[in-house]
Amino acid sequence: MKRLSFMMGVFLLSFFLISVSFAADVIKFGAAISLTGKLAKEGNLVKNGYELWKETVNKKGGIKIGNRYYKVEIKYYDDESDPNRAAKLVEKLITEDGIKLILGPYGSESVFSTSAITEKYGALMVQGGAGADKLYTRGFKNLFGIYTVATEYMDDTLKMLRNKTPKPNTVAIVYSNDLFSTQVAQGARASAQKYGYKVVYYKDYPKGTQDLSTVIVEIKAKNPDILIGCGHFQDTVVIVKQSKDYKLNPKAIAFSVGPTLPDFVTALKGDAEYIFGSAQWTPTLKYKDPVFGSNENFVKAFKAKFGVEPNYHAAGGAAAAVIFQRAIEKAGTFTDINKIRQALASFNEETLFGKIRFDATGKVVDKGMPVIQIQRGQQKTVYPENAAEAKPVYPKPAWR
Amino acid sequence: MIILQVLLNGILLGGFYALIGVGFSLVWGVTNIINLAHGAIALLGAYITLFLFQYYGVDPFLSLPFSFIPLFIFGYILQRYLLNLVVKAQIFMLLILTFGIEIFLVNFMTTFFSADFRSVTPDYAGESLIIGDIVIPYIRLAVFAICILITLLLSLFLNKTWTGKAIKATSLDIDAAMMVGINPAKIFAITFAIASGLAGVAGSLFSLTQAFSPSMAGSLTLRAFIVSILGGLGRVEGALLGGIILGIVETLSSYIIGESYKNAITLAIMVLVLVIKPTGILGKKYFAEVKH
Repeated sequence: MKRLSFMMGVFLLSFFLISVSFAADVIKFGAAISLTGKLAKEGNLVKNGYELWKETVNKKGGIKIGNRYYKVEIKYYDDESDPNRAAKLVEKLITEDGIKLILGPYGSESVFSTSAITEKYGALMVQGGAGADKLYTRGFKNLFGIYTVATEYMDDTLKMLRNKTPKPNTVAIVYSNDLFSTQVAQGARASAQKYGYKVVYYKDYPKGTQDLSTVIVEIKAKNPDILIGCGHFQDTVVIVKQSKDYKLNPKAIAFSVGPTLPDFVTALKGDAEYIFGSAQWTPTLKYKDPVFGSNENFVKAFKAKFGVEPNYHAAGGAAAAVIFQRAIEKAGTFTDINKIRQALASFNEETLFGKIRFDATGKVVDKGMPVIQIQRGQQKTVYPENAAEAKPVYPKPAWR
Repeated sequence: MIILQVLLNGILLGGFYALIGVGFSLVWGVTNIINLAHGAIALLGAYITLFLFQYYGVDPFLSLPFSFIPLFIFGYILQRYLLNLVVKAQIFMLLILTFGIEIFLVNFMTTFFSADFRSVTPDYAGESLIIGDIVIPYIRLAVFAICILITLLLSLFLNKTWTGKAIKATSLDIDAAMMVGINPAKIFAITFAIASGLAGVAGSLFSLTQAFSPSMAGSLTLRAFIVSILGGLGRVEGALLGGIILGIVETLSSYIIGESYKNAITLAIMVLVLVIKPTGILGKKYFAEVKH
């Protein structure tokens, strides 16, 4: 009996010691993310990005602070694609689980609600899943985001096109009247003016519209060199089909959302050819990365682990985590939120997502949006030049 | 010149609206059922066309019978063995039931065809008739012609055949119809079957001009609803007129005031019609009367 209790005592003691030493050697991150619900697809991709990062870091020993290595752990909660639930879960992560390093959820609404909680409790969030401008207009100090914001979405496309021959002079901008697309359009108009184009058409249409023939006919009457559509996937399909129907033949057609999705080519087949799209990230970008080595390696590692090519959701998740990690290493602490925030504020490093710098509001600046073009049914990166897989085809041939 | 093009677009669009509205209007006028699943049934037709086109290369126009017949049978069964059970119940129950059917169909389509947007694009899509500055896509012209043809055929059917006359009689006075040997349950089922079949055809034609996904069911039902209100219930000529008015109003208001205000204007006109002439522009009194 004595022997047994002694054994148990030793066992408990060693267990206690082990768990203490484990606890000391671990940095815990938390994330409330959409694993089910309407954003489940994107949410799970972001999570895959986090997981790949965690695995890669832990394989290398962990996050290095001073001379010690700390393993990474991530505690997930499923926000069921509900921003309110996400906020409650982040509160739970901070107050009950004692985690102050929060990896962002997917979607502007969820980032909007959860970042208010991290701000309230003095926790820190780095997010790679939302691009609304309004996230950065609330005077928050503890939110950092790596998506190029809506108003800068079309900037690089217009920049790329300005030196092409024959030189495009006029731009038509048509947009869905939801908040995100409206901001994209406002940004596109500002960029067009900045680069010396004349905006000959600038009008919205209701979200979820099915027939845009009148809009197309009106645009055709203005005969623009560039047509920019800021809307959603369905709208892009309607615009392309009806442009063909009514022989609207601008020299370039570019969309903010749509061509980056695989469904775009499935839905439009040959009509998708030579249409431009803006992407937060593409697999061919040639950036170095402090964790994966390079963007190329990240793509390879992702393919090896998940069997599919990563898209920008997954890359955004991984990149946000990488930046968080680098800031912690630079700060030399994972408990002093203030120091980590300062490290983020002065962050200036190349990652798989691009050269990342934040402005005073926590928004990424000068990251740029790679431009893709559909060529032979494939998305090809055509801009920036150093990442281009193919030359942009311009002017776009007229509809057959 | 552009206004002419806009007007023409409106008329062409109106033909489609007429076809989607005529079945809805007929069911409402005859059986007093507001079929909230009408748009979903139309989308079934669109998916039939897509399926035949993608896997068997069937020309979308040739697939019309393949969307009409199965949906005709589907509609018959639905009315005979499900809706008939509650047809005498309060209107509220019928709304719930048809709404339930809509949810079921939309989810069914989402499960089998995914929520992705699809479109049917035969080789000749994008070919257009060009007269001066005016562009008329052949497909839209063909869709319009077929819609008009089918609506006229339906009108002939209702006025010349025994079954057609029985349908009209039932909508006029159900008791008197029973007295002359008409079985209302059967007539209801046939009416619903015709409406579903026509919705299927409309859906097939829809797939040719626009991208579609299961999420679109509601807005198609809404269009059918507006066409019925504008034209008057149960009347084929009414649906044709209502459809073309809706098409013109939509495109004109989109051109003059802006695409974003299109729906508001359309609904305003619907309200106006309801206030001034509650039976619809071509509606006669009996068609809109509540018969229970």
